[in-house]
Amino acid sequence: MNYRLRVAQMDFPVEVEVNEDRKLNIMLGDKKYMVDYTVISDFCIHMKMENGFRSGNVNAFVADGPDGKTIVINGRSYLVQDNDCLARVVQKGRRPNLPDKITPPMPAVVVSIPVTIGDRVKKGQAVIVVSAMKMETTLCAPFDGTVVKINAGVNDKVAPGQILVEIEKDE
Amino acid sequence: MFKKILVANRGEIALRVMRTCQEMGIACVAVYSDADQKALHTLRADQAIYLGASEPVASYLDIEKIIAAAKDAGAEAIHPGYGFLSENAGLARRCEEERLVFIGPPSRVIQALGDKTVAREIMLGSGVPIIPGMVRAESVLQILTEEAGRIGYPILIKAAAGGGGKGMRVVHTENELADACRQAASEAAAAFGSNAIYLEKYLKSPRHVEFQILADSHGNIVHLLERECSIQSRYQKVIEETPSPAVTPELRAAMGQSAVDAARASGYVNAGTVEFLLDADGKYYFMEVNTRLQVEHPITEMITGIDIVQQQIRIAAGEPLGFTQSDVTGRGHAIECRIYGEDPENGFMPSPGTITCLQEPSGPGIRNDCGIYAGFDVPVEYDPILSKLVVWAADRNQAIARMKNALSQYVILGIKTPVAFLMDVLASEPFQEGKTCTDFIATHFEGWRQKTDEADLAVLAYIIDEITGPRRPQANIAGTTGPATPWQTMGSWRL
Repeated sequence: MNYRLRVAQMDFPVEVEVNEDRKLNIMLGDKKYMVDYTVISDFCIHMKMENGFRSGNVNAFVADGPDGKTIVINGRSYLVQDNDCLARVVQKGRRPNLPDKITPPMPAVVVSIPVTIGDRVKKGQAVIVVSAMKMETTLCAPFDGTVVKINAGVNDKVAPGQILVEIEKDE
Repeated sequence: MFKKILVANRGEIALRVMRTCQEMGIACVAVYSDADQKALHTLRADQAIYLGASEPVASYLDIEKIIAAAKDAGAEAIHPGYGFLSENAGLARRCEEERLVFIGPPSRVIQALGDKTVAREIMLGSGVPIIPGMVRAESVLQILTEEAGRIGYPILIKAAAGGGGKGMRVVHTENELADACRQAASEAAAAFGSNAIYLEKYLKSPRHVEFQILADSHGNIVHLLERECSIQSRYQKVIEETPSPAVTPELRAAMGQSAVDAARASGYVNAGTVEFLLDADGKYYFMEVNTRLQVEHPITEMITGIDIVQQQIRIAAGEPLGFTQSDVTGRGHAIECRIYGEDPENGFMPSPGTITCLQEPSGPGIRNDCGIYAGFDVPVEYDPILSKLVVWAADRNQAIARMKNALSQYVILGIKTPVAFLMDVLASEPFQEGKTCTDFIATHFEGWRQKTDEADLAVLAYIIDEITGPRRPQANIAGTTGPATPWQTMGSWRL
């Protein structure tokens, strides 16, 4: 089996060969690993490695996320993604980053909206203030323009991806 | 002794207080909001009373609802925990009016010390050294600007009505002052119900050293040694330890005496903490008195063997302290790491979500005061503290090793936590050398990124998980709206 995996901004071409039941020979690029594994629970995999690039025992914890799997080993967490899946997502036109949209960075509550529809705003001007876990964040206009729509009210719960304020860019 | 106590708080601290109550054979009543219907404190109490909506003002900050809950449940006393109403003289006063015992100082003491400027004035009059700055709160920008000029930049804006880092801002130049004051006031209002702010001189690289005090209602006051709380991020403490690497026995005796003097000058009763800033020359300045149990109290408990919550309950029940200052000794070294639901690679932004898997470290000298469990939905409405990981060992080096190991064994899946960040801080040379001061993180860990030495192991685990899965239910990821899409539920597949 072949994979193209991505973690910590590094790409790993992967070749997997099943040696016996629960024993794998895995090539990550040019490095070889021989892994005996045991599934301990839904979240935990025990790996025993010998005679390869690494040796020793490791307990890995796995959780699913929207962008890939988060793997925790010895207290450190790694987001591992499948490049083949990522390629499909990009093709579908879904872009995870929307830098020029007014959207909260985390689930939050709207504290104040210092602009109204029709206001002219300048790039960098505060257009909405949200609060999460008592920390306030101010979101600003990404360019000069006019406020055309406000999609949230004070005390509304909002989430990343929701467009809170729509600004029409000046020509 | 009380038969029933209401714990007016949530999360890990509510659990911790209830634990001592239950050990003492005292029934405990929990209060909870919508978001906490399945919280551990709600589930563990002998009785749980619903307060209202998740927003703190509708639940945990609603004094009348809490008083009503206590009366309905037949509780004789209320323990306020930390944060929320713990330093609210209004709650203490209402308890006094309703003949409920407030487990803390009398309302007039909370009132006086709760206003940080009044506290400073009391100390000024009692010969306890204070940080240069204002002794009155102010909202008029003109006056604030003049005071800032008088004190000299850089300036620290602080909330008069509360601590915990809320409503604090550093200002370096006059043209930053207006915006910073507005933001600080707004944050203070949200956290404490008061937008009053004042200014102090911002001290460069001080250590934050605080002393735990206990005062009974018979005039006996002792201190339970110090805590060093210099590792902070955005004015929130992150790592605390005791003893402080910078406090000599002489300094300990002097600061301890000042802490007891401060308590006596303010008529203190019950547990409290006197906070000082210690500069590089060994000079110390009174900062404020926190008239409540502090988040980091466990490290004092580890080195002294004293259960501070038990002492609080005994004092509130009218008992005299069962020991004197000479009975208080510290043994070994203790460190606490606060585990917040925050992303250390993204400015420590809160990271709410559902905990999918939790494995707590354990072993000799390891204590984890934990408020979460696997399956729990961490709410957005409250402080994101998930647990406090505390270790005790015979000396500082062993405590550091024990904490590093405990962190590496602590698994929390489903949200982002600073575990890897804390491991790196503890392994760093400045920390090992005890060079802890309040700009430690900004100085040594700005723009920190997690090490990726074992990324290859993560890849191996991914593959094995793929080959052997799917095992986990595909839960709706927090923050997404609408039904789960095939991209989330199908998992990956290949031809």
